[in-house]
Amino acid sequence: MTDIAVSLQHVSKRFIRHVDRRNSLKERIIRGRSRTSEDFWAVKDVSIEIPKGSVFGLIGHNGSGKSTLLKLMSGIYRPTEGKIHTDGRLAALIELGAGFHPDMTGLENIRLNGSILGLSRKEIDDSTQAIIDFSGLREFIDDPVKHYSSGMYVRLGFSVAVHMKPDILIVDEVLAVGDEEFQRRCEDHLYSLRRAGKTIIVVSHGMGQLEGLCDEISWLEHGQVQETGPATKVIRSYLERVNNQESVRNAEISSDRSMDAGSMRAGSGQIRTQTIALRNVENKPLDHAETGSTTRFALTLNSKESILGPNVRLAIQHEGGALVTMLNNHRLGTDLGIVDGDFTVFVDLLNTPLLPGRYRIHIDVFDHTGAKLLDNWSDALEFPVRSQRGEIGQGFVELPAQFTLSKSPTQQE
Amino acid sequence: MLTDLYSRRALIWAFANRDFATRYRSSVLGWAWSLLQPLAALLVFAVVFSVVFRIVPPPLGADPSRGSYAAFLFTGLVTWNLFNSLIVLSMSQLKSNGELLRKVQFPGWAPIFGASIVQLVQVVLELIVLILMFFWQRNVGWTWILAIPILIAMALFAQGIGLMLSILNARFGDVQYIVVVVLGALYFLTPVIYPMSMVEDTASNLVIFIQANPVAWFVQAMHDVMYSLEVPEWWVVPGLLLLGLLTFILGLAVFNRNSEDIGELL
Repeated sequence: MTDIAVSLQHVSKRFIRHVDRRNSLKERIIRGRSRTSEDFWAVKDVSIEIPKGSVFGLIGHNGSGKSTLLKLMSGIYRPTEGKIHTDGRLAALIELGAGFHPDMTGLENIRLNGSILGLSRKEIDDSTQAIIDFSGLREFIDDPVKHYSSGMYVRLGFSVAVHMKPDILIVDEVLAVGDEEFQRRCEDHLYSLRRAGKTIIVVSHGMGQLEGLCDEISWLEHGQVQETGPATKVIRSYLERVNNQESVRNAEISSDRSMDAGSMRAGSGQIRTQTIALRNVENKPLDHAETGSTTRFALTLNSKESILGPNVRLAIQHEGGALVTMLNNHRLGTDLGIVDGDFTVFVDLLNTPLLPGRYRIHIDVFDHTGAKLLDNWSDALEFPVRSQRGEIGQGFVELPAQFTLSKSPTQQE
Repeated sequence: MLTDLYSRRALIWAFANRDFATRYRSSVLGWAWSLLQPLAALLVFAVVFSVVFRIVPPPLGADPSRGSYAAFLFTGLVTWNLFNSLIVLSMSQLKSNGELLRKVQFPGWAPIFGASIVQLVQVVLELIVLILMFFWQRNVGWTWILAIPILIAMALFAQGIGLMLSILNARFGDVQYIVVVVLGALYFLTPVIYPMSMVEDTASNLVIFIQANPVAWFVQAMHDVMYSLEVPEWWVVPGLLLLGLLTFILGLAVFNRNSEDIGELL
């Protein structure tokens, strides 16, 4: 027994790219072994150790080797070089419902998929009810899955996979499935697995989600590890890189198409907002805000020159499109002084009066006169608001108000 | 290697159950097709070859004055179908489960064995019909017991070949077409529709080719124990069993050696 759930030592994976694959015997015989093949290293010299009971994230661009690495960990691919060692039962959610047979009923597919994922018959029998409950598909469980909607299909797949009691769960971008309610249930389930000390390895492009969930993150670039470390730190340097690349691109664009209304970033660029993260007052990362408790938006900004008293404005927009409010440091009487280089601004939304739903943040930074736009970041953050009390409420906000009962007619004193 | 099979028996069963459940699901007659198909083939063959080509069946073991072409033909047909169907089914399993093999890690032989189990059930059904046929012909004998090891050997032999061909077919898509042609030729080199004695009389130069065909050994042994009610030479049944077992182990070894990257190939 070690404390390492998955260890990768100098793991590389080479794919041979055939320009045209000699898939038929005739071609193989006539033209011999294919001549026009080139090597492609999808994963190159990756060494990672994932401790037991931790949540490990993989980030990187499309094609950076994340999924190949997951397939290597789950044993679908063999490494070309290096060693992989896993300790404990492993379940991989590479694609949900991959093993479903369209002609079989939901129940039959639960059994089949469970066996393919490595469950014994007894374990399957024991967890069948829980799987059906979790999926919320009780009414349809005896229908062939070919009559299921694609959402129902994935829900069933996810339910089977998370109920196989894995020690190591590998999740490949499958969290964005089903409706809002089911997504929450999936996320809650991942948190409960995490509390139960299971190891979770997750690939996602949802940085906010990863920041809340992961202990450590590896950032892959062209199959190589760029950086491994605490989630917040790696995400920050990843986003920095992405933003830099984007601002380089934007600079090129803006030279001939100045301040395109559709572009994500605008403004002079003297200040750039690098990241925005959802926190609580203790600065712990959050994946959602809660009605009634204070939410902190942590903004990291970078100023290319000394700027006096910038005006930071945070627009909160409801998913329905309505602008809820615009938080403005000048209006609230906060002067940020002279800023230069990297700095952080906390915007605390006291006792969050927002009602449950999804909200978006847009950031504007103006100079001290409020006339010159230095930075504009539309759709900087999208986050859910939930309520512990469970109610949904009407409208977007709950304003501080009080109801009292008076039996006697109103009297003036 | 063989203990792997045992430890993943639940998985093999799961695939077998899937194939059971879905095999005839969209048809009205369902599993009746598993008997209707071979019986229809039997009827056509029996009419064509006994009426048109006038093939004379060998004498029945219980009553040498009689012969039954239908019973003779069906004995050979059951044995041949076992061989043929296991190979054809095994060959297609990796491709038809490719979607799954690309995304989940499990041994590639599991769906193959699952499909074979379902096919074996079909063979048992055919065998029951064959036995009823012999009862009706009043051609019953204790030598029938020997059909069990012969059929097991036949199944192992076919499965071993099927495992090797399935890997080859995953790499080269045209293997399946070649195999169908080869099986078609092999069928006529196997004494299924004609008795061996007929070849010896009319085409003695072909005998050597038929004798070199392993499937013919199994079919002839089946004819001996089921139709003629004779015990073959003492070494025949153990020999066939050994051949089946070795082929199976070889097939499994070849399969395991070459299937590790199967997820990438499919």
